[in-house]
Amino acid sequence: MPQNIQPIAGEKSAADGRPSGADGRSLALQNRFPIARFQSLIALFLLCLALSILSDKFLTFSNLWNVMRQISVNICISVGMTLIVLTAGIDLSVGSVLALCGAITAGLLKNGIEIPSLNLFIGFTLLGATLVGAVTGSALGAFNGWAITRFSVPPFVATLAMLTVARGLTMLWTGGFPISGLGETFQFIGTGWFLAIPVPVWISIVVVAFAVFLTEKTRIGRYIYAIGGNESASRLSGIHVSRVKIIVYTIAGALAAVGGIMVTSRLDSAQPNAGISYELDSIAAVVIGGTSLSGGRGSILGTVQGAIIIGVLNNGLVLLNVSPFWQQVVKGLVILLAVIIDKANAKNE
Amino acid sequence: MPKPIRYLIYAAAIALLAYNSVYFKKLDEVKAGNTVFDAAGYAKDFWEKKLTPGLSKAMNLNALTSLLKADKEKAFNEHSHALGIGNIRYFLVKGRGVVTDVDENEVSVQLTDANGKAVTPQVRIATEYIFGNAVRDASGAIDINAFANSMDFNNVSAEINKIIREKVVPPFKSKVQKGDRVAFHGAIELNRAHLQTGNIEIIPVSLQIEKP
Repeated sequence: MPQNIQPIAGEKSAADGRPSGADGRSLALQNRFPIARFQSLIALFLLCLALSILSDKFLTFSNLWNVMRQISVNICISVGMTLIVLTAGIDLSVGSVLALCGAITAGLLKNGIEIPSLNLFIGFTLLGATLVGAVTGSALGAFNGWAITRFSVPPFVATLAMLTVARGLTMLWTGGFPISGLGETFQFIGTGWFLAIPVPVWISIVVVAFAVFLTEKTRIGRYIYAIGGNESASRLSGIHVSRVKIIVYTIAGALAAVGGIMVTSRLDSAQPNAGISYELDSIAAVVIGGTSLSGGRGSILGTVQGAIIIGVLNNGLVLLNVSPFWQQVVKGLVILLAVIIDKANAKNE
Repeated sequence: MPKPIRYLIYAAAIALLAYNSVYFKKLDEVKAGNTVFDAAGYAKDFWEKKLTPGLSKAMNLNALTSLLKADKEKAFNEHSHALGIGNIRYFLVKGRGVVTDVDENEVSVQLTDANGKAVTPQVRIATEYIFGNAVRDASGAIDINAFANSMDFNNVSAEINKIIREKVVPPFKSKVQKGDRVAFHGAIELNRAHLQTGNIEIIPVSLQIEKP
């Protein structure tokens, strides 16, 4: 990594997702206000405490495992979203990409490909179908990255276009109908258990470990923080900004595909309208986890906390029999609060 | 590592993945082995052998609305059916009333009691947009586990709705007029958590215009 990159984001500070001023002033502030470092954890603890008092069903093993199983999908998507937001980008297409990849995996697994002119049927094994699903997600993500970097399209617009394109492709692929009955082996991905822990939780652990390693222990991880901190300076420092961004969007697309495969497996059905508003949940997890929407600051583990908070909040509101309409209002207010707190912290620092 | 060896390893890995990912068959052999579910036949059978005989168990809509006001839980627990665990539940109902309005999409009916006296609520009989799973699920006579996949199950619903559109609605819709006395059997959908009994839509199973 070029030496003159270091003052932009600060190699050490970037690794833990916290910016540091050159004079160490922010470090002093952090020491003075240590609560800011743990605000997500404190919020999660208070939320769990309140829910365990209000509902006797919340603190049960079956419910907690169910929550973990549900948030595994959001964790996968949110990890990809974090990488993108760290580069000061955004991806609104993850929900649609999730739906398309899940549908492609299910369609290939169930129906294969028929080529009547050759009297040929190409069948796909579980490995083959999931691989094609994951490659599709990666390709769509790469296309997003390419469109954003090649034509300087704002990420918001490029991924908004992909949201519509991917949803349309999903409808075309499925004909608007669910693809169901995918077999017990495939269902194991979303509903199975391994070493007394649900398989989706294992998958999200692997995804998180990969992303933490990527952001904290690799050169590209430092580049991601650097680009988000100051893109122009990063480019002048010799970082191939376009390439890094394409890689980041590709990873996010692949993780959306993993989420899609998990959702499809859990339901034993690829729904053409799956993943609607998932992008909002993942952005919420990223923001609540302390990642700055202007890039360069944040962490994967913070996002995991954010995803857990969103998942617990969803679960708690359902257990408390809150109307789905009010649930949306509450979630929106929580996101707003998280952004306000983040802004206040940034101002203090 | 020399480049040729590296490429050879990559190629071997890709070949191994591909070998374990896809398989090839003759298309006509695959098609010969597939039996397609006959949703139309199943729906016809269901209509004739389960739904029509089961209409005698349909609950009077006047009685149902009274029970919903008096004891909502009892009404839902004893008279509704649904396949999922959500709040949307379906009832098989019957009733009589006087037509108050006829438009392209529905017929509005003022319910009457046994003496022919008008009672609340007013209901709407759908005559154009016959969609959803109300009739299939309200009967409680179809077991989802009997189907290989949910697409087959949904196709049954589509075929039932098609029977309604083609056989139940046309003879009624072509003759019904404002002021007619009508009798109906049908299915309704109610939300357990957000109950609205003021403007119920009935998906008809049988419709009759009674002579004055």
